[in-house]
Amino acid sequence: MTIAALIPNRKPQAASRAKRIVGRTLIYAALIFWAFVCLSPIYWTVTTSFKSAVDVTQGHLIPWLDFQPDWKGWRSLGLSPDTIFGTSNPREEFLSRFGNSIFTSVGASLLALVLGSLAAYGLSRFRYKFAWMRNDDILFFFMSQLILPPVVLALPFLVLYKALALLDTRFGLILLYTLTVLPIVIWIMRDQFNAIPVELDEAAFVDGLSVWGAFLRIILPLAVPGMVAAFILSLVLCWNEYFFAALLTSTDAKTLPVMVASQTGSQGINWWSMAALSTAAIAPLVIAGIFLERYIVSGLTTGAGK
Amino acid sequence: MNNREHDQHHPLRPNRRTVLKGAVSAAALGSTGGLGALTEAALAQSNLRAQISQIPGIGKGAPTDADWQKVGELCLGPTKANVKEGEFKGVELSFMGLNNQNLHNLLFRGFLKPWEAYTGAKISWIDLAQADYNPRLQQAIATGTVDFDILEMGAPFEGDVCGKGLASEMPEWVKTQIDINDYVDYLKPPVGTWNDKTYRVTIDGDCHNFNYRTDYFSDAGLAKAWKDAGNAGDWGVPKTWQQVQAVTKFLKGKKFKGQNAYGYLDAPKPWGGFGFYFLGSRASAYAKHPDDKAWLFDVDTMKPRINNPAWVRAIQDVIDALPSEPPDQLNADPNTTGFQQFLAGTGSMIPWWGDIGQVAKASDTSVIGDIVGFDILPGSDDVYNAKTGNWDKLASGPNHAPNCAYLGWGVYVMARVNGDEKKHKAAWSAAAHLGGKDLSFWTVLYPSGFQVHRASHFNIDEWVTAGYDRKYITSYLNSQLSSYNHPNRAVEPRIPGIFQYYSIAEDELTKIFAGQVDAQTGANNIAAAWEKLTDQLGREKQIALYKASLGV
Amino acid sequence: MHQSLPAAVNRQQMLASRRMRQASLGRALFLIASALFALVLLVQVLHASGAIAAGFSDWRPVLYAYLVWGIALGIRQVLLRGERGLRALFLLPAVLFTVAVVIFPTVFGFYIASLDWNLSSLEGPRFYGLGNLIGLFHDTYYWNALRNMVFYTLAVSGEYAIAFGLALLLNADISGRKFFRVVFLLPMMLSPVAVSWMIGKSLLEYRFGPAATLARALGWDNPAFFASPWIARFSIEAMDAWVSIPFIMIILLAGLQAMPKEVLEAAKVDGANGWQSFWHVTFPLMLPVSITVLIIRIIFKLKLADIVINVTAGGPGGATDTMSSFIYRVYRDRSNVGYGTGLAMFYLLIIIVLLSLLLRLSHRWTQKVT
Repeated sequence: MTIAALIPNRKPQAASRAKRIVGRTLIYAALIFWAFVCLSPIYWTVTTSFKSAVDVTQGHLIPWLDFQPDWKGWRSLGLSPDTIFGTSNPREEFLSRFGNSIFTSVGASLLALVLGSLAAYGLSRFRYKFAWMRNDDILFFFMSQLILPPVVLALPFLVLYKALALLDTRFGLILLYTLTVLPIVIWIMRDQFNAIPVELDEAAFVDGLSVWGAFLRIILPLAVPGMVAAFILSLVLCWNEYFFAALLTSTDAKTLPVMVASQTGSQGINWWSMAALSTAAIAPLVIAGIFLERYIVSGLTTGAGK
Repeated sequence: MNNREHDQHHPLRPNRRTVLKGAVSAAALGSTGGLGALTEAALAQSNLRAQISQIPGIGKGAPTDADWQKVGELCLGPTKANVKEGEFKGVELSFMGLNNQNLHNLLFRGFLKPWEAYTGAKISWIDLAQADYNPRLQQAIATGTVDFDILEMGAPFEGDVCGKGLASEMPEWVKTQIDINDYVDYLKPPVGTWNDKTYRVTIDGDCHNFNYRTDYFSDAGLAKAWKDAGNAGDWGVPKTWQQVQAVTKFLKGKKFKGQNAYGYLDAPKPWGGFGFYFLGSRASAYAKHPDDKAWLFDVDTMKPRINNPAWVRAIQDVIDALPSEPPDQLNADPNTTGFQQFLAGTGSMIPWWGDIGQVAKASDTSVIGDIVGFDILPGSDDVYNAKTGNWDKLASGPNHAPNCAYLGWGVYVMARVNGDEKKHKAAWSAAAHLGGKDLSFWTVLYPSGFQVHRASHFNIDEWVTAGYDRKYITSYLNSQLSSYNHPNRAVEPRIPGIFQYYSIAEDELTKIFAGQVDAQTGANNIAAAWEKLTDQLGREKQIALYKASLGV
Repeated sequence: MHQSLPAAVNRQQMLASRRMRQASLGRALFLIASALFALVLLVQVLHASGAIAAGFSDWRPVLYAYLVWGIALGIRQVLLRGERGLRALFLLPAVLFTVAVVIFPTVFGFYIASLDWNLSSLEGPRFYGLGNLIGLFHDTYYWNALRNMVFYTLAVSGEYAIAFGLALLLNADISGRKFFRVVFLLPMMLSPVAVSWMIGKSLLEYRFGPAATLARALGWDNPAFFASPWIARFSIEAMDAWVSIPFIMIILLAGLQAMPKEVLEAAKVDGANGWQSFWHVTFPLMLPVSITVLIIRIIFKLKLADIVINVTAGGPGGATDTMSSFIYRVYRDRSNVGYGTGLAMFYLLIIIVLLSLLLRLSHRWTQKVT
């Protein structure tokens, strides 16, 4: 390619610059528009935790200008500055659920990551045959675990968990959540491993490593970013899981989403405390998202292009 | 007081001082104590009631956790009379109930904290969101995973729990401690009992009353417009459904205080079965004939009446009124009509449980304050007689039939504690504490989700002392009391699966209100589905239980 | 040389005999573990059925025995099949785990589907055979929900288009990229309950919702988002899309970033304009990623329930009802668990057949395009 080809004559350059500017403007307009779409409900949620009923039912939007913010939602949880040191049942309840939510969602995501990465690597590198099932069928088998509406598993899981003494245990929830996110992890990780050239494995074999050695020492480190991405997606799914949490937990293993749902009932709705709970519930995910965002993208990068 | 029961349970025999401090009901004391003790005790009790009624004070916002604990502490007297300090040390109880906007179970937690400190028992909590309550309970029963000792439950589920022998019968000493005879009439047996055994500590009374905006119906401008439009009669609070319809249609397009004026608010969107009560409130005046206890099914056959002319007329009323209601009404459930519309200032008439009146003044959810008036549900000029198939005009005037919907929450002790005497007593003591006479006065005074349910709750002076406006509270309490005691009250059948009937009906009703089928066809569909359900549940048994619940 | 030959033979023999010994060790180990598992299971079954008094208080030991059995199975694979066994070891844990958690609920689920079982019925469950299946063919709610699901599923293509656009935007050379990426991810994190209430029931509320106010300002006099069938359907879909677009977007974005830059540049040199290079180069290259993400998204969409249950309860007149929300009502609100499970199982069947077809078609199509 010559330099002449890269620098066209003057007039089209001006035109293309104009076009460029229009293009840039459009891009930023679109970006800002979508950021608005994403942020306004979140903004509404966060500010509502500081509003009284009047401010909600009159649609007030801007603190200090429209309404006088107050720690209302946070006070109802015992988390406002004036209540944080007093005794508060809602706060105890919130904290124990918060802890359980973290424990179960992190636990399930990690377990799914381990099981899923192994399976994904296998499915990416080797040909299996289980009775009539080949790799694609096995993949579909995992995927099909996602399909059944969870409602109808209520009685079976109640009976199973009762028999196994897993009711109201965090371990029981972890097992179930692992099952629900495993297919997604397998899928993401298979893409990951597909993208890593097989030559790397072969080079490792030449160096005298076994299959597992090659996997653990060469391939896995390359796939760490993808694992982080899968971890985040699993975390979000487990963190917000409501149905089984409401069904299988009582006292020891209860998680946060049920408490969010409890903010509405026969007494209308406590906007402020639901908003405060929702805000508190997305905070850890947002923080995790900010820290791990770069991995999500570069993680899937290697895989998805194939 | 029943000494035999005392001997059985080895409580601390109360001396006079603990009794006095303990604010045991004056009536109960009257049988054993002297006259002097009686007045002294009554005085102590009224002091206590006045004292707790100031925590935190009407108009000072919603009570907090600290307030609940204070009230629980002050109302510990009856417990102290029956239980030694530290008597239940080592007992662990599990309590299943609702977390309803951080009330119910969280409220109970506050109340029971002092109780735990005194008795030494420990309670662990299972909190359910309202939407999960029914399925969780049913599924726990079906799979044998009943893992709770105390249960907060509504009367409609008694068939499922008490009917299957899962509940523990109430001991006599509990009946005395909570003064069970103080309950209002409609909550006395057969409600709370099953096969003549008492199971329930009532903590709530539920009945639909009629809530209206006083400012609308005393407005001169609207009165003039009403006359100008050539309407018969004076502008005022509607007393019959015919008037409700007329006012609703009249208000369409009018402005009031700068906002669009609306009349009656229907709740066409399903609400997990609870929405059906609101059609029931429209229908009861048409369908509940004073000579007939039944109004939902024929007594002898369980043949649904939902498609008889009375119910179809009520459905048609909703269809006719909807165009005059707010444009988004089709997606409004009772939660919306009550809390997002009425209490926020939209609309002028709704039926609801007592929550509205209780919440309007003392909760953070309310915007309108005390411009609310109360009455029993409107009546009807004529009432359908299901036996003759005629519309009767009663000599006594319009037919009223307050809808005693849901019958309120109660606390039940499960049969699984029966084997362990200490645990049994502990569980019942906790339930009795929650259902205590004075404690209940506080719960009906403040937003708690629980409404008046005892004769002793209707002392208007106490409410005024607490800070309520006399006119407001008189109107409120009268609407409740007149509903509870109404000779033609429509009482909900406590048959198993009653909410399934409601849920099916809601599904079909939303089709009718969306204009997909007409009222009669839709009602016929409901009837057919109900027949199918009755067959699935066992017709003979349902008939027997239906008869029992009506007392026929 | 002469000496080394027998030595080599000897070593081979030794190796062979070691392998033999390993194999028999593996077999023995596996046999013992299987026997143990069978024994524990048998004891517990007999105990549970009341045939024998001895036994465990719960079935947890069976779980442990299964775990031991699984480990023994793994060891057996390695000892018996060497290299191939090591390979099988990758897949085995996930398969054993899934089977263990899923097998009982699935079998029990099919059993329940064959029952006429209403939890409120005092008579308990009764065998019903294919009765539930026959019943659902006359159930207008079922077919109505299925029709709605067609709409919701087709709407995934819209979500996909938006997500693709956003991914392209984020892939362009922009400043503040990290900010936009995190912000665009946020909607995914809000729980469905919070979405229903904070958005569906307040942001979109007719009277005070800021969205309704905005709509009025834009000239829509009567912004009732859930009162007429099509608007309600679109509103529900919009909320669900808001939550799930980030998921599609982030995966497509990753695909875009991984795309070899040379290909695009080559297209540019060939004189292709933006649209042409997208349509002829980018899009085909993104097909495999797109298909997988679409399949996963469709599966999630087919289970759409929470938002519908909370915001419209399926109304007005069933316009927004989804299969899951209908099954939810039957199973939970009406405790009609036999019929509810039957509905779900039939739905499962439909989905599996359709998905297999879709996968097969898409495979063929991808191969043709790329």
